[in-house]
Amino acid sequence: MKAESVRTLLQHSVFVGLVLGLWEWGARAGVIDPSFMGSPLGIIGFTLENLGNARLWGDLGYTLLAVFSSFLIGSAAAVATGLAFVTWPKLETFCEPYIAAMNVLPRIALVPLFILWFGLGVGSKIALGVSLTFFIVLSTTVAGIRGVSQDHVTLTRTLGASSRQMFFWVTLPGAVPVLFSGLRLGLIYALLGVVGAEVIASERGLGQQLAYLGSTFNVNGVWSLLFDLALIGVLIMKLMNWLERRLLHWQ
Amino acid sequence: MIEAERLDLSFDGTHLVLQGIDLHVKTGEFVALAGPSGCGKTTLLNLCAGLVDLPAPQRLRVAGEPPALGSQRVAYMLARDSLFPWLSALDNAAFGLKVRGLPVPDARERAAAMLKRVGLGGFEDKLPKALSHGMRQRVALARTFAMPSPLLLMDEPFGALDAQTKLQLQDLLLQLCQESERTVLFVTHDLSEAVALADRVVVMSSRPGHIVADVPVPLPRPRSIRALQTSDDFHHTYARVWKHLEEGWVQHEG
Repeated sequence: MKAESVRTLLQHSVFVGLVLGLWEWGARAGVIDPSFMGSPLGIIGFTLENLGNARLWGDLGYTLLAVFSSFLIGSAAAVATGLAFVTWPKLETFCEPYIAAMNVLPRIALVPLFILWFGLGVGSKIALGVSLTFFIVLSTTVAGIRGVSQDHVTLTRTLGASSRQMFFWVTLPGAVPVLFSGLRLGLIYALLGVVGAEVIASERGLGQQLAYLGSTFNVNGVWSLLFDLALIGVLIMKLMNWLERRLLHWQ
Repeated sequence: MIEAERLDLSFDGTHLVLQGIDLHVKTGEFVALAGPSGCGKTTLLNLCAGLVDLPAPQRLRVAGEPPALGSQRVAYMLARDSLFPWLSALDNAAFGLKVRGLPVPDARERAAAMLKRVGLGGFEDKLPKALSHGMRQRVALARTFAMPSPLLLMDEPFGALDAQTKLQLQDLLLQLCQESERTVLFVTHDLSEAVALADRVVVMSSRPGHIVADVPVPLPRPRSIRALQTSDDFHHTYARVWKHLEEGWVQHEG
């Protein structure tokens, strides 16, 4: 490790240590009320105990299943719709007001409907995740395809390319950089939608566990799950970064 | 190879973009289209490539047929290298052949030979981002010449290069044309480039685009671009073309 990164690591360790130390001291000295704020040692204790709990891993699996399902369904539908919009611009013009209206609607407000339609299980979580992912990926798909180099298109047309060749050899790879930024956001929003729906009403999932711990005043448990969720978010980002480096090594 | 008779073109039905274009390019000839920007020279080139629809297609024959997008007899080259940044130099050079249906191993073999010919042996696996401007345009030349199309349409292919690189690539282009006997229609706004490369320089003027002069270039082949810089014939022809170009301006302003 370089001296620079050692110093950064040291700075952050000191900062985090100081915050946690102050927090723990405050909780013990009665400056902070631990029944509302929890305490670092309490959180660590809960986390260690929870790691051995099958319930956590079941809920984690449930949440991740819903996140990746809504991401896959939402982005596949969005890419297909985006392609249709670019191929038939009149369709896009026609659909635009509806898309715009749905896009500004606070999607979380759809949860009551989704629960009626798909029940308390994974279905309603996926539905909300899809409703968030879809619109983000749709706009970047359209922008990505429109942004494909006109020189590439002209050249390929003069070569007499079929529309299949044009799509797979020129349009798709040319749109990937912009499209990818949309997919990255889409995945984060899928996580947001799924956990949000779980907090509102669910049988299983990390969001449901979080809501339960909150309503039973287990503040240390709430903190612990928040760290779990942040960790999942970071790991998802790392996965996307790795994918991007593989796919876009030519940039 | 190209036969245009009293060719008119209008995009909006009222304003003419091209008017009364008579252009005849014989097989094996190298013809430069020169003129100020906006004179319609690129439009004329794009008409030949089939990129622009012509209301009266019988007035234009390219390789004996009405212009058609994707004709195997035509290879088109743009001002910017337009290499695909996600493909290696070799796959870029093979791209035209692949689109035109040559099996991939054959396409890559031909492309590899062309890359060597343009001086890029050893750079086959490099991505465009690792190549200089001049090298990228060499790859584009390899892509164009790898295809056996007898007619090459070039739209200011060296317009974005520095002077030194430009001279090298012009020399390379002349060698490639002499080796493989192509017919070339070459659009440029650089008069010395037009005179140095072409057998004839067709001078155009604008509003609407029309041909003001057709100047033969009396320079022997094979030519060396460097040697031309000190040739009297080169400078005389250059002066003639320049005069016609100026007449076009005067006509236009008067």
